[in-house]
Amino acid sequence: MSTDNLEFKGSDQYYLDPELGSIVNIALQMEKPLLLTGEAGTGKTQLAIQVAKALDMDIEILRCKSTIKGEEACYNQDTVLRLNDARFGAGDTGRVVDNFYDYVVWGPIGRAFRADRKRVLLLDEVDKTESDVQDNLLDILEDFEFTIREVNETIKADVKPVIIITSNAKRELSDPFLRRCFCHHIAFPTPDQMTEILKLHYPDTSPELMEAARDIFFDLRDRGFEKPPATSELINWVGALERLGEMPDPKNPPLTGVLLKRASDIQAYRGEEGPKRYL
Amino acid sequence: MSVELEDEKHAYNALFVDFMYLLRDYGIPTNLKDLLELNRGIEQGLAKTLDELFVFSRLVFVRRVEHMDAFERAFAFYFYDIDIPAVEEGDMSLLRTKAFRDWLNKAIENGELPARAKWDMSPEELMKKFWERLREQTKEHNGGNKWIGTKGNSPFGHSGNSEGGVRVGGGAGNGTALKVIGDRRFISYSHSNKLRADNLRQALESMKHLKHAGAHTDLDLKDTIYKTTRNGGEIELVFKRELRDRMNLVLLIDNGGYSMTPYVDITRLLFSKLKDRFENITTYYFHNAIYDKVYVDQRRIRSYSTEKLLLQKADTRVVVVGDATMAPEELLSPFGSISGFDLSDSRASIQWMRLIANRFKYNTWLNPIPRERWGGNYGATTLKAIREVFHMEDLTLGGVKGMVEHLSNKTGKED
Repeated sequence: MSTDNLEFKGSDQYYLDPELGSIVNIALQMEKPLLLTGEAGTGKTQLAIQVAKALDMDIEILRCKSTIKGEEACYNQDTVLRLNDARFGAGDTGRVVDNFYDYVVWGPIGRAFRADRKRVLLLDEVDKTESDVQDNLLDILEDFEFTIREVNETIKADVKPVIIITSNAKRELSDPFLRRCFCHHIAFPTPDQMTEILKLHYPDTSPELMEAARDIFFDLRDRGFEKPPATSELINWVGALERLGEMPDPKNPPLTGVLLKRASDIQAYRGEEGPKRYL
Repeated sequence: MSVELEDEKHAYNALFVDFMYLLRDYGIPTNLKDLLELNRGIEQGLAKTLDELFVFSRLVFVRRVEHMDAFERAFAFYFYDIDIPAVEEGDMSLLRTKAFRDWLNKAIENGELPARAKWDMSPEELMKKFWERLREQTKEHNGGNKWIGTKGNSPFGHSGNSEGGVRVGGGAGNGTALKVIGDRRFISYSHSNKLRADNLRQALESMKHLKHAGAHTDLDLKDTIYKTTRNGGEIELVFKRELRDRMNLVLLIDNGGYSMTPYVDITRLLFSKLKDRFENITTYYFHNAIYDKVYVDQRRIRSYSTEKLLLQKADTRVVVVGDATMAPEELLSPFGSISGFDLSDSRASIQWMRLIANRFKYNTWLNPIPRERWGGNYGATTLKAIREVFHMEDLTLGGVKGMVEHLSNKTGKED
């Protein structure tokens, strides 16, 4: 299958850094999973969704949790239903108890691999899973296939999906896992990039307001709060400021509750000296 | 430059073999598979310009953000002949790097700096000049280095068979790679970097490995039998979370002397963020060396006897933060304490330290002095003696990682 025609150029709701754009396109062309790391609010998950939108593909999302075992991301056997059918009959549902596949519920990975059209497969926050789950994912990433244990059959993707993986680096991923991906760390947006992002969200807001808000935002981020405000908080804040209809005063900005979430941060901010700066 | 390699399909010349080895020299783990992938991509036309090659080869070779800065420096060295030292701007350890010394000698030779610059100019001035020069180089690089123009043996070339090769110069947007490198966006993630508030989060991430909450893997036999009988004989397995005790941590901080002041807060912050990882964190202070007493408060007035400290559970993790730098007598001779002469304590500090290290085998001494300077400064004697007692790491991101590994009982043996 040729992938030459696939090129991602960002969208009207998503500011695409040119470097990140070429990285996405390299991953598309080399048909290799793309692992995105970076702190919250750098748009990792959003990128996958926008890629799917821009390339007109369906998206399958696996939102990882620590309880996930890996197998159910591929498929699940509805044993209770099968047991029920075995005991009381399947009725006119068309299911046949002997037919294993009648009781399979496909997970996101299974759906993406079995699809006729290319899909985007997003493994969101993969670092939340246990490390043995990540080991189980290795074959999936490398060979685009998984095995159904019960019938010992292999499902292989005819059309390789575009795999995008995100990680907040809560836990470190193993070397073998990293080796199977293209890895990119998204740095926090620079002030200029932030302006671009804000413009996409608020095309009608006055540039002065956005700039003032942005400067206060970066100033607050530099002050070493326990949970520094992230992009989404700034976006919400600008929206709130606009509704308030006044320019924020850098000395005493309004509605800081939108930016600072932790009680200790807010206390530190309200206290005259602000939080301690470490070095 | 190129080496013949065979893959399943055909033999061809692999480009950038020596670049791969250079990356390994810069501490980036790369292998042959990466190199083949790079070549495959180049064949597919993914790296037609040097800028594209920069982005593409970084994707192929770099997997961890802490290697990013090293990669960018290696790239600048290999493709632009610019040697960027591993240190951050403003860091005095620049003076010891080869890049700096080479530049200084050359600058004096070709008259860029006065002949007596080494004596007349302050280190700060020289360092400033060095970074200015480097910035100029990365901003307006206009060729003339070892890559551009070497038509014969270089994979680049403006003319002729650029199929699968890399084109340099001429193209629009050229030079962004070097500009990006000059920004050094990833230096604060670099392993050799000092711990600071803005990369603290990364250190915290590696410390999260200390968490010992197990997965649901232990069979709960009692509950399984109960549930199974309720089920009328259909077996139902119940799993419970593997029980692992949360750890105790004792933090011993040397807060005597001004040299330690900046590090006291950062370490306390580091560990305070980890409160929920540990059942208990207690902090004690000492000055230079540990004797029969440590102190509960920063001003070292309320004392706590070291004997009592030794009575804590043996699996308590002990982290000492200090520069391990003092007069040898302070550490090694009896009655060595410089703060208050106390006849009741005749043991030398090193003996106390041994007692602590023997009692608590999961210990680490975090030293704000970078590892490469442990051998040759004022405190080398005491530093060496202490290293024989404690597992020592420096206060960098890599050091914190090493500490986590040492503290988290990787060998799996239980006490």
